[in-house]
Amino acid sequence: MKEIACVSGVGLLMDYLEGVLPADLHAALEAHVAGCPRCAAFVASYRDTPRILREATEASLPADVEASLEAFLSARTSAFKSS
Amino acid sequence: MSTIVPTAEPSDETLAARAAAGDDSAFEAIVGRYQARVFRLACRLTSDTDAPDVLQETFLQVYRHLSSFRGESQFGTWVYRIASNAALMHRRARARRPAESLEVFLPRFDAQGKHVATPAELQVASRADELLDRQVLAEKARDVIARLPDLYRDAFVLRDLEEMSTADVARALDVEPATVRQRVHRARLMLRGYLSDLAGGQP
Repeated sequence: MKEIACVSGVGLLMDYLEGVLPADLHAALEAHVAGCPRCAAFVASYRDTPRILREATEASLPADVEASLEAFLSARTSAFKSS
Repeated sequence: MSTIVPTAEPSDETLAARAAAGDDSAFEAIVGRYQARVFRLACRLTSDTDAPDVLQETFLQVYRHLSSFRGESQFGTWVYRIASNAALMHRRARARRPAESLEVFLPRFDAQGKHVATPAELQVASRADELLDRQVLAEKARDVIARLPDLYRDAFVLRDLEEMSTADVARALDVEPATVRQRVHRARLMLRGYLSDLAGGQP
Protein backbone atom coordinates (compact mmCIF):
# COMPACT_ATOMS: atom_id res chain seq x y z
CA MET A 1 0.00 0.00 0.00
CA LYS A 2 1.06 3.55 -0.74
CA GLU A 3 2.62 5.29 2.28
CA ILE A 4 2.00 8.96 2.98
CA ALA A 5 3.42 11.57 5.33
CA CYS A 6 1.45 13.85 7.65
CA VAL A 7 1.76 16.80 5.26
CA SER A 8 0.27 14.83 2.35
CA GLY A 9 -2.47 13.41 4.55
CA VAL A 10 -3.57 16.87 5.68
CA GLY A 11 -3.89 17.89 2.04
CA LEU A 12 -6.31 15.02 1.43
CA LEU A 13 -8.59 15.53 4.43
CA MET A 14 -11.43 17.45 2.83
CA ASP A 15 -11.75 15.03 -0.08
CA TYR A 16 -11.50 12.13 2.37
CA LEU A 17 -14.30 13.43 4.58
CA GLU A 18 -16.43 14.20 1.53
CA GLY A 19 -15.95 10.67 0.23
CA VAL A 20 -14.42 11.68 -3.08
CA LEU A 21 -10.90 10.42 -2.51
CA PRO A 22 -9.72 7.58 -4.82
CA ALA A 23 -9.79 4.21 -3.03
CA ASP A 24 -6.01 3.79 -2.86
CA LEU A 25 -5.47 7.20 -1.27
CA HIS A 26 -8.44 6.68 1.04
CA ALA A 27 -6.89 3.44 2.34
CA ALA A 28 -3.43 5.01 2.60
CA LEU A 29 -4.74 7.96 4.58
CA GLU A 30 -6.70 5.75 6.98
CA ALA A 31 -3.65 3.56 7.52
CA HIS A 32 -1.48 6.59 8.22
CA VAL A 33 -3.93 8.19 10.65
CA ALA A 34 -4.41 4.89 12.48
CA GLY A 35 -0.67 4.78 13.20
CA CYS A 36 -0.02 8.48 13.75
CA PRO A 37 -1.29 10.06 17.01
CA ARG A 38 -0.46 13.53 15.66
CA CYS A 39 -2.66 13.08 12.62
CA ALA A 40 -5.40 11.44 14.67
CA ALA A 41 -5.47 14.54 16.89
CA PHE A 42 -5.28 16.84 13.88
CA VAL A 43 -8.16 15.10 12.07
CA ALA A 44 -10.34 15.30 15.17
CA SER A 45 -9.77 19.02 15.56
CA TYR A 46 -10.19 19.60 11.81
CA ARG A 47 -13.61 17.91 12.02
CA ASP A 48 -14.59 19.83 15.15
CA THR A 49 -13.69 23.27 13.78
CA PRO A 50 -16.90 23.82 11.74
CA ARG A 51 -19.11 22.77 14.65
CA ILE A 52 -17.38 25.05 17.13
CA LEU A 53 -17.57 28.05 14.80
CA ARG A 54 -21.16 27.27 13.78
CA GLU A 55 -22.29 27.24 17.38
CA ALA A 56 -20.27 30.35 18.20
CA THR A 57 -21.81 32.36 15.35
CA GLU A 58 -25.47 31.44 15.79
CA ALA A 59 -27.65 34.52 15.38
CA SER A 60 -31.38 35.02 15.75
CA LEU A 61 -33.35 37.68 13.98
CA PRO A 62 -34.07 40.61 16.35
CA ALA A 63 -37.67 41.83 16.36
CA ASP A 64 -36.66 45.37 15.39
CA VAL A 65 -34.70 44.11 12.38
CA GLU A 66 -37.69 42.03 11.32
CA ALA A 67 -39.99 45.06 11.64
CA SER A 68 -37.57 47.21 9.64
CA LEU A 69 -37.43 44.60 6.91
CA GLU A 70 -41.20 44.47 6.70
CA ALA A 71 -41.47 48.26 6.48
CA PHE A 72 -38.64 48.44 3.94
CA LEU A 73 -40.16 45.79 1.68
CA SER A 74 -43.61 47.24 1.98
CA ALA A 75 -42.37 50.63 0.79
CA ARG A 76 -39.97 49.36 -1.84
CA THR A 77 -42.16 46.69 -3.41
CA SER A 78 -45.04 49.16 -3.72
CA ALA A 79 -42.66 51.56 -5.41
CA PHE A 80 -41.41 48.74 -7.61
CA LYS A 81 -44.90 47.76 -8.71
CA SER A 82 -45.88 51.33 -9.54
CA SER A 83 -42.65 52.06 -11.46
CA MET B 1 -68.78 15.36 12.55
CA SER B 2 -66.53 17.12 10.14
CA THR B 3 -62.85 16.31 10.00
CA ILE B 4 -60.30 18.98 9.51
CA VAL B 5 -57.77 17.79 7.00
CA PRO B 6 -54.47 19.58 7.43
CA THR B 7 -53.34 21.22 4.25
CA ALA B 8 -49.73 20.84 3.28
CA GLU B 9 -47.62 23.97 3.26
CA PRO B 10 -47.04 25.16 -0.29
CA SER B 11 -43.54 24.51 -1.59
CA ASP B 12 -41.05 27.32 -2.03
CA GLU B 13 -41.39 26.95 -5.78
CA THR B 14 -45.19 27.28 -5.60
CA LEU B 15 -44.90 30.39 -3.46
CA ALA B 16 -42.28 31.83 -5.82
CA ALA B 17 -44.56 31.32 -8.83
CA ARG B 18 -47.48 32.93 -7.01
CA ALA B 19 -45.35 35.83 -5.82
CA ALA B 20 -43.98 36.36 -9.33
CA ALA B 21 -47.58 36.57 -10.54
CA GLY B 22 -48.23 39.41 -8.08
CA ASP B 23 -49.49 37.58 -5.00
CA ASP B 24 -48.12 39.69 -2.13
CA SER B 25 -49.11 37.17 0.51
CA ALA B 26 -46.95 34.55 -1.23
CA PHE B 27 -43.97 36.90 -1.14
CA GLU B 28 -44.62 37.61 2.53
CA ALA B 29 -44.63 33.87 3.16
CA ILE B 30 -41.27 33.54 1.39
CA VAL B 31 -39.84 36.34 3.54
CA GLY B 32 -41.23 34.67 6.65
CA ARG B 33 -39.62 31.38 5.71
CA TYR B 34 -36.18 32.72 4.92
CA GLN B 35 -35.63 35.93 6.88
CA ALA B 36 -34.05 34.31 9.95
CA ARG B 37 -31.73 32.15 7.84
CA VAL B 38 -30.71 35.04 5.59
CA PHE B 39 -30.07 37.23 8.62
CA ARG B 40 -27.84 34.58 10.20
CA LEU B 41 -25.98 34.15 6.92
CA ALA B 42 -25.58 37.93 6.60
CA CYS B 43 -24.14 38.12 10.13
CA ARG B 44 -21.65 35.43 9.25
CA LEU B 45 -20.67 36.96 5.91
CA THR B 46 -20.54 40.59 7.06
CA SER B 47 -21.17 41.73 10.64
CA ASP B 48 -24.03 42.19 13.08
CA THR B 49 -24.03 45.87 12.16
CA ASP B 50 -24.20 45.34 8.40
CA ALA B 51 -26.49 42.30 8.42
CA PRO B 52 -29.80 44.25 8.53
CA ASP B 53 -28.84 46.10 5.32
CA VAL B 54 -27.82 42.87 3.61
CA LEU B 55 -31.10 41.30 4.72
CA GLN B 56 -33.12 44.11 3.16
CA GLU B 57 -31.11 44.14 -0.04
CA THR B 58 -31.42 40.37 -0.39
CA PHE B 59 -35.21 40.32 -0.22
CA LEU B 60 -35.51 43.33 -2.49
CA GLN B 61 -33.42 41.45 -5.06
CA VAL B 62 -35.44 38.29 -4.51
CA TYR B 63 -38.62 40.26 -5.15
CA ARG B 64 -37.27 41.93 -8.26
CA HIS B 65 -35.95 38.72 -9.77
CA LEU B 66 -38.66 36.26 -8.84
CA SER B 67 -39.78 36.01 -12.44
CA SER B 68 -36.27 34.93 -13.47
CA PHE B 69 -36.19 32.01 -11.01
CA ARG B 70 -36.20 28.98 -13.31
CA GLY B 71 -36.09 26.20 -10.78
CA GLU B 72 -32.67 25.03 -11.98
CA SER B 73 -31.57 24.92 -8.36
CA GLN B 74 -33.60 24.72 -5.17
CA PHE B 75 -35.26 27.98 -4.27
CA GLY B 76 -33.30 28.18 -1.02
CA THR B 77 -30.01 27.84 -2.89
CA TRP B 78 -31.09 30.66 -5.20
CA VAL B 79 -31.93 32.88 -2.20
CA TYR B 80 -28.56 32.08 -0.59
CA ARG B 81 -26.82 32.97 -3.83
CA ILE B 82 -28.51 36.37 -3.85
CA ALA B 83 -27.68 36.89 -0.17
CA SER B 84 -24.02 35.94 -0.74
CA ASN B 85 -23.75 38.44 -3.57
CA ALA B 86 -25.47 41.13 -1.51
CA ALA B 87 -22.99 40.51 1.32
CA LEU B 88 -20.09 40.66 -1.11
CA MET B 89 -21.29 43.97 -2.56
CA HIS B 90 -21.65 45.30 0.95
CA ARG B 91 -18.13 44.31 1.91
CA ARG B 92 -16.70 45.86 -1.24
CA ALA B 93 -18.55 49.10 -0.57
CA ARG B 94 -16.79 49.39 2.75
CA ALA B 95 -13.27 50.71 2.59
CA ARG B 96 -11.54 48.26 4.86
CA ARG B 97 -7.88 48.01 5.57
CA PRO B 98 -6.45 44.72 4.29
CA ALA B 99 -7.09 41.94 6.78
CA GLU B 100 -4.08 40.44 8.49
CA SER B 101 -3.24 37.12 6.85
CA LEU B 102 -4.28 33.91 8.55
CA GLU B 103 -1.51 31.90 6.87
CA VAL B 104 0.36 31.90 10.16
CA PHE B 105 -2.26 29.49 11.51
CA LEU B 106 -1.68 26.81 8.87
CA PRO B 107 -0.25 23.54 10.23
CA ARG B 108 3.52 23.23 10.41
CA PHE B 109 5.60 20.26 9.33
CA ASP B 110 9.25 19.27 9.70
CA ALA B 111 11.59 18.32 6.87
CA GLN B 112 10.16 14.80 6.80
CA GLY B 113 6.63 16.14 6.42
CA LYS B 114 5.68 15.25 10.01
CA HIS B 115 3.58 17.50 12.26
CA VAL B 116 5.79 19.72 14.42
CA ALA B 117 3.21 19.97 17.22
CA THR B 118 2.53 17.14 19.64
CA PRO B 119 -0.79 15.23 19.66
CA ALA B 120 -1.85 17.09 22.81
CA GLU B 121 -1.11 20.45 21.20
CA LEU B 122 -2.91 19.46 18.01
CA GLN B 123 -5.96 18.37 19.97
CA VAL B 124 -6.49 21.68 21.75
CA ALA B 125 -8.58 23.24 18.95
CA SER B 126 -11.25 20.59 19.56
CA ARG B 127 -11.72 21.95 23.06
CA ALA B 128 -11.79 25.64 22.21
CA ASP B 129 -15.46 25.84 23.13
CA GLU B 130 -14.75 24.33 26.57
CA LEU B 131 -11.63 26.34 27.26
CA LEU B 132 -12.83 29.77 26.20
CA ASP B 133 -15.53 32.04 27.52
CA ARG B 134 -18.60 31.74 25.32
CA GLN B 135 -18.89 35.47 24.61
CA VAL B 136 -15.18 35.80 23.88
CA LEU B 137 -15.34 32.85 21.49
CA ALA B 138 -18.37 34.35 19.72
CA GLU B 139 -16.57 37.66 19.17
CA LYS B 140 -13.32 36.04 18.10
CA ALA B 141 -15.16 33.68 15.76
CA ARG B 142 -16.86 36.56 13.94
CA ASP B 143 -13.59 38.48 13.75
CA VAL B 144 -11.59 35.62 12.33
CA ILE B 145 -14.24 34.64 9.78
CA ALA B 146 -14.25 38.27 8.62
CA ARG B 147 -10.48 38.02 8.16
CA LEU B 148 -10.73 35.11 5.73
CA PRO B 149 -10.18 35.98 2.08
CA ASP B 150 -13.58 36.52 0.41
CA LEU B 151 -13.41 33.35 -1.68
CA TYR B 152 -12.67 31.17 1.33
CA ARG B 153 -15.18 32.88 3.60
CA ASP B 154 -18.14 32.48 1.26
CA ALA B 155 -17.43 28.80 0.65
CA PHE B 156 -16.75 28.06 4.32
CA VAL B 157 -19.79 29.91 5.64
CA LEU B 158 -22.19 28.29 3.18
CA ARG B 159 -20.71 24.79 3.44
CA ASP B 160 -19.70 24.52 7.07
CA LEU B 161 -21.76 27.07 8.96
CA GLU B 162 -24.99 26.98 6.95
CA GLU B 163 -24.44 23.27 6.29
CA MET B 164 -25.34 23.36 2.62
CA SER B 165 -24.16 20.45 0.49
CA THR B 166 -20.99 20.99 -1.52
CA ALA B 167 -23.04 20.67 -4.72
CA ASP B 168 -25.44 23.41 -3.59
CA VAL B 169 -22.58 25.70 -2.56
CA ALA B 170 -21.03 25.14 -5.98
CA ARG B 171 -24.30 26.19 -7.61
CA ALA B 172 -24.68 29.20 -5.30
CA LEU B 173 -21.14 30.41 -5.99
CA ASP B 174 -21.09 29.31 -9.63
CA VAL B 175 -17.92 27.24 -9.29
CA GLU B 176 -17.04 23.54 -9.51
CA PRO B 177 -17.55 21.31 -6.43
CA ALA B 178 -13.79 20.63 -6.37
CA THR B 179 -13.19 24.37 -6.05
CA VAL B 180 -15.60 24.53 -3.12
CA ARG B 181 -13.79 21.67 -1.40
CA GLN B 182 -10.42 23.34 -1.94
CA ARG B 183 -11.62 26.68 -0.53
CA VAL B 184 -13.40 25.13 2.44
CA HIS B 185 -10.35 23.02 3.21
CA ARG B 186 -8.06 26.03 3.18
CA ALA B 187 -10.46 27.96 5.41
CA ARG B 188 -10.77 25.04 7.84
CA LEU B 189 -7.00 24.74 8.15
CA MET B 190 -6.63 28.42 9.00
CA LEU B 191 -9.58 28.48 11.37
CA ARG B 192 -8.54 25.27 13.10
CA GLY B 193 -5.09 26.76 13.69
CA TYR B 194 -6.63 29.99 14.91
CA LEU B 195 -8.85 28.16 17.42
CA SER B 196 -5.85 26.18 18.59
CA ASP B 197 -3.80 29.32 19.09
CA LEU B 198 -6.67 31.02 20.89
CA ALA B 199 -7.04 28.09 23.27
CA GLY B 200 -3.31 27.79 23.95
CA GLY B 201 -2.34 25.05 21.49
CA GLN B 202 -0.29 24.90 18.30
CA PRO B 203 -1.38 25.03 14.64
